[in-house]
This record gives sequence, structure tokens and C-alpha cells, in this order.
Amino acid sequence: MVFITNEEILETVRMIQDENLDVRAVTMGISLNDCASRDVGRVCQRVHDKIVARAGRLVSAALEIQEKYGVPIVNRRVSITPIAGVLAAGGPEAFVAVAHALDAAAAEIGIDFVGGFSALVQKGFTARDTALIQAIPQAIAETQRVCSSVNVASTRAGINMDAVTRMADVLVDVSQRTADRDSIGCAKIVIFCNVPEDSPFMAGALHGSGEPEVSINVGISGPGVIRNVVARHPELPFTDLADLIKRTTFKITRVGELVAREAAQMLDAQMGIIDLSLAPSPAIGDSVAEILEAMGLARTGAPGTTAALAMLNDAVKKGGLMATSSTGGLSGAFIPVSEDAGMVRAAAEGVLSIEKLEAMTAVCSLGLDMIVVPGDTTRDALAGTIADVMAIGMINSKTTGARLIPAAGKAAGDWVELGGLFGAAPVMPLSLAGNSAFIARGGRIPAPLQSLNN
Amino acid sequence: MSDQAPRTSVIVTALGADKHGLLAAVATTIAAANANVDDVSQTVTGGMFTMIMFVSFASGETTMAALREALVETGLKIGLQITVQHEDIFRYMHRI
Repeated sequence: MVFITNEEILETVRMIQDENLDVRAVTMGISLNDCASRDVGRVCQRVHDKIVARAGRLVSAALEIQEKYGVPIVNRRVSITPIAGVLAAGGPEAFVAVAHALDAAAAEIGIDFVGGFSALVQKGFTARDTALIQAIPQAIAETQRVCSSVNVASTRAGINMDAVTRMADVLVDVSQRTADRDSIGCAKIVIFCNVPEDSPFMAGALHGSGEPEVSINVGISGPGVIRNVVARHPELPFTDLADLIKRTTFKITRVGELVAREAAQMLDAQMGIIDLSLAPSPAIGDSVAEILEAMGLARTGAPGTTAALAMLNDAVKKGGLMATSSTGGLSGAFIPVSEDAGMVRAAAEGVLSIEKLEAMTAVCSLGLDMIVVPGDTTRDALAGTIADVMAIGMINSKTTGARLIPAAGKAAGDWVELGGLFGAAPVMPLSLAGNSAFIARGGRIPAPLQSLNN
Repeated sequence: MSDQAPRTSVIVTALGADKHGLLAAVATTIAAANANVDDVSQTVTGGMFTMIMFVSFASGETTMAALREALVETGLKIGLQITVQHEDIFRYMHRI
């Protein structure tokens, strides 16, 4: 019996019972390289069979771990080899068929999402990439559980502006195809710079080329725990506050480490990474924005917000690093709008703007995430916004992503209900200033000086 | 209780408004479920009852699911919020 104090025991219980401590996602990464074929029927069958064979016990294993440790595991998911490289022939319709096979496999094993309907095109398109990107609108509109991501930029390659424009076209198309559901299809598409190849978080998870056959990646959570620690110390100087956040993050991350180890062993998979991300949910008390507000900001978006987020993000990483040697994925605070009750409130009050969120992107993980923009936003305005987010990632050698939802038929100030973990959000205004001549140039924004670090 | 078979160690916490017989009710439930109380501490502060029990059982004696089910049922009857968690989560969170 290990000596643990009563205070420590009660702290753990309080974190779980009262402060929404949970494990946000246990994601199994599965290599589909051995499913490749030029025959679409064969690919569909192989992909389905492999996912069901390897991840068939994922849900029951996660439930078993949840019962054993008394900590909720909110999502069970699968990430796969970017599918553009698995189907070796066929047009967009063939990729749509594969999306349906993925959807069916995900439904069969009881997971909510499968990620990796993806391509990496930062430097250019293969014929497979082109067909896949053309397939995304129909695939996303016709499936429930398939998530798509496309990497259009990297620090090494620069920004493929043709890919940026194509993905803006995809968003416009998906917005229309899912107009009857507030354009929710766009919530399942992430456009990346420096995409991580081992992220457990949707919609951007994929199983990269350097990954093992099967891995278990775990995304931690716990904004409510950090928020309460910060709120209990209203006058603590930042140096001491950062230390407190580090200590708390250590504990949260250890839970992720324990779950990852156990899940990997149970499922005969390699333990992958722990993603040190504070992932909010729409539930009250599970908000990253509320942490910033507990630091002393009346609302997220107030002057000082970017500094507060930078400090939080850094402290989370430092605490997490001590807790696990297997860090990876996105590892940083998430700032989605619709999925975070505090962000939604600040956006609805007009305190938090897209421009402020863009600045915040520079100091934390992901980027302009789950942001609803007017349905009549032009393709070029979307492309320009995506390019801005990619530029921040490219120059700062970090991951950035854009998950923008042009809500068909909605104007700035309207309200959009996306449902479940996607939450609800006000439609936020985007600058209406023209940029078409800029977007029309096309080509590639060259890799920055930072790419030459050898 | 067997000393040979590998034992599972869990930590039971119980919180709620204080009244007579709470510790006895929880301990009786644990005994009936065929598990052993290795250590217990209990306090009452401002009418709030807080109890922490280190409980163990050998494989074959009971399961975590059975123990939790019995304790949660008892908790509902006597007004206690009871948790049952494997000790490893506490060890992982608070010790390197």
C-alpha cells in the first residue's frame, strides 16, 4: 500500500466529481498502409475489416478503465493513415465510397469519430490528393463519423496558396450541402499548418507515416480544475501562479499517462503520446476562457488576454512535461469558440473578436477553431483567413489549424446550434475588405528562413 | 482473506451529512461484498461526514464492479456520495 494523504485523495475526488476532470479522448491510431490497392472495393473491405479487427475492443476497454479508476473517458476514436495514400486509383467518387466504409466501421465499433480522411499537400498535389480534396464535400455531407483534415502549409515548405483556395472552396461547398444542419459539416474539417501526426483530438487526428502499426494516443482535459486553482488565489503574483498551474497540470497529465499505458496494454497497441492540451467542452465549468477570466480579466478578449493565454499555455506544458515522457499531438491550450462556454459568452457580448482570436493563436495550440462566420462570407475571405492562420504556424514553427464554419443563411449576430461537444455559438463578423487580387495570385508562399535550421 | 492470491487495492471515499451509523453501514457493506478494510480514517467537520477507506480483495473474492454497486446502493440509502477507485490513480497523480 502506497502512502497517500487524505488531502491528496480528497483532491483527486474533488477534481473528478466537482471540477470536470476527465480524459477527453482515447484515440487508437491505425496504419492502413497494408490496405492499399487500386481497386476501391478491395480498399473499402480491407479498411473496414482492419479497423473493426484492431479497434473492436476500444470502447469496452475504455469503459473498463473508466470504471477501474473512476475517471470519465469522454471520447473513443480512431485515427488512420491519410486516406489519399491508401486508395491508389479512382476519382472522387471512389474516395466517397471509402468514406462510407470508414463511417460504417466506426458505427460498428461504437466510436463517435474516425479521423484521417486527409492529405498532406503543403508543397503540391498528387493526383490522389486532388481526387481526395474533390471528394471531401460529398464524403463529409453523407457520413456521420468521418473527419477530414488537409495540411496546406509547413515551416519547411511554406504555404500552398492553391491548396488554401481549394480548401476555402470545400468549406463553401460543405456549408451549402449541410445547410439544413447549420452547416455542421464544416466542423469536421480542419485545415492545418505543421499537422501533428499523432494527435488524439478530432477533427484533426491522423496516423502519420512515422507512426507504428497501432498506437494509443490520449488527450487530457481539465480546464475546470485549473480554473478553480487560479480562482482560489486571486492575488498571487504570476510567478507563483504559474507554479501552481504547473503542479496541477502535472496531476492531470499523470491521469492521462495512466490511462494511456493501461489502454495500450489492453489493446495490444504501442503507447503513443499524451497530448498536453487543455480541451474545453461546452459544459459550464469546463472552459479555458474561464481560466483567463479567473486570472483577473473581466472577459476573454479584454486587454491582457494574449499574455494570460501565453502564461497558461507555457505552464501547462512545463507541468505536463514532468508527468510523462511521451508528449505529442497538439499540446497546448485549445481556444475553440463554440466548444467553450466562456468563449461563447465573450463572443456574444462582442468583447472577443476573430482578430483577437488570431493573436491568441500565436501563443497556444491550434488556431481559429470552431468559429462560425456569416453564410455569405466569400471564398476569398475564407481563403485569406486560412492563410493568416497558416502564416502564424509557419513562421513560429508550430501547429496552427483553421476550423471555420460559414453558416449558410446566417448573418453576424445570429445564433448557431451545432449540438453535443460542438456546442453553440454566435456568428462572428469577418472583415469585409476585399482581398481577391491577393488570393488570385496562387502559387506557394516560400518557406521562411526558419526552415533552414540544419 | 487469502495472503497468496494477488490483491486489488481500492480507495473508497464517502461524503455526506453526518448521522449515526454511517461508518458501520459502509463497513458492513464492504464485509458483505467479501472485501477487507485495511485502513480507515473519518472526520466530521461542520456536520459534514468524510470517510476514506483503504480496501483490498483477492481475485475471486469480489470485483470492483460488484463492490461499487453494493456501496453506491448503500450510499443512496444513507445519504452518502461514495466513490470506489483503484489506488493506482492516486499513486500516479500524487507520486512520481
